[in-house]
Amino acid sequence: MNTGENSHELLVEKALVGFDLAAEHHLAHCAPCQEERERVGEALREFGNASRQHAGQPEIFWEQQAARIRAGSTERAQRSRLGLTLAPGLAVLFLVAFALLSREPGVRPAQPPTAQVDSDHELLVEVERAVETDTPLSLEPATLMIEQGDSKENSISTNSGKEPGSHEN
Amino acid sequence: METALTPALGATAHNLTAEEFDAIVRRHQRRVHRFLLMMVRDAEEADNLTQECFLRAYQNMSSFRAESSLETWLMQIAANLIRDQARNRKVGFWRRLLGLRDGEGEEWAEHVAAPEASPEQSLLAREEVRAVWGVAEQLSRQQRAVFLLRFVEDMELHEIAAVLGLQVGSVKTHLFRALQTVRGRLRDQR
Repeated sequence: MNTGENSHELLVEKALVGFDLAAEHHLAHCAPCQEERERVGEALREFGNASRQHAGQPEIFWEQQAARIRAGSTERAQRSRLGLTLAPGLAVLFLVAFALLSREPGVRPAQPPTAQVDSDHELLVEVERAVETDTPLSLEPATLMIEQGDSKENSISTNSGKEPGSHEN
Repeated sequence: METALTPALGATAHNLTAEEFDAIVRRHQRRVHRFLLMMVRDAEEADNLTQECFLRAYQNMSSFRAESSLETWLMQIAANLIRDQARNRKVGFWRRLLGLRDGEGEEWAEHVAAPEASPEQSLLAREEVRAVWGVAEQLSRQQRAVFLLRFVEDMELHEIAAVLGLQVGSVKTHLFRALQTVRGRLRDQR
């Protein structure tokens, strides 16, 4: 295929695509190109006709398709209405929740539960335990010393209480 | 490409009644379905996409501006659906793998030629259409869309540009390349 033939074909294709001044000018003086345009144009028209015929459907098909579209549009409209109805309620709910949360100073972290201790009761239990427990043997002399110390103090205090009376005598 | 409903639609797009929408469906469903069928070459898929096209139109009717005709707007939605569908390559992959498209060109070619045509003429026409379909299937999605909108839907270049969101110059380029491919392949087959 030489360049000349190529340029003829290009011009025919340009003419088939749409109006092209150079192509139209060439075709006006070139009979083979005119024929070629007619031939290809006819084939494309046949192609268009065949395609349209193929896509043709019986009337019942279009009826059913339209019915399905109608049902689909109704469904989507209902869904959209439902959304519009629920949206204000959800918005109010959200605002109330937000207001409640913002009123609190803040969410405090959960503190571990502390055991409640009654200090008086604890002390009482300790005293009882100490009273009931025998004094260890190693501590006995000390205990005696304390007891002796206590008895001396008592005797001194008794004597000192009698002295003023002797002076009186 | 004005339609009877287009002028009224501009004012009442927000308050479209079910009857008005139904009238729009009935007026445009054939063309939308045909374009989708030719692009996807699957009757069930084309039916589903046609429904989706009109449902999307219904949902977004408020966004319709009367700058383009209603039909062009619907075809734009259809073209977008095809593009979205093309992104989902899985279906196409399995379809090709299972060879489900084999023989479709022959089925289409059966519709060619008027009943009054001679057997020879019918045969010739069927052969040519089958060959064109065979080649058209191999075009890129964009080229095929331009080719079909031009030669099956008889759309003007500026209408095709509006539907596919292209410049008129790009439409010309796509169409020119598609024609070159179709003619070249047909020549090789002869």
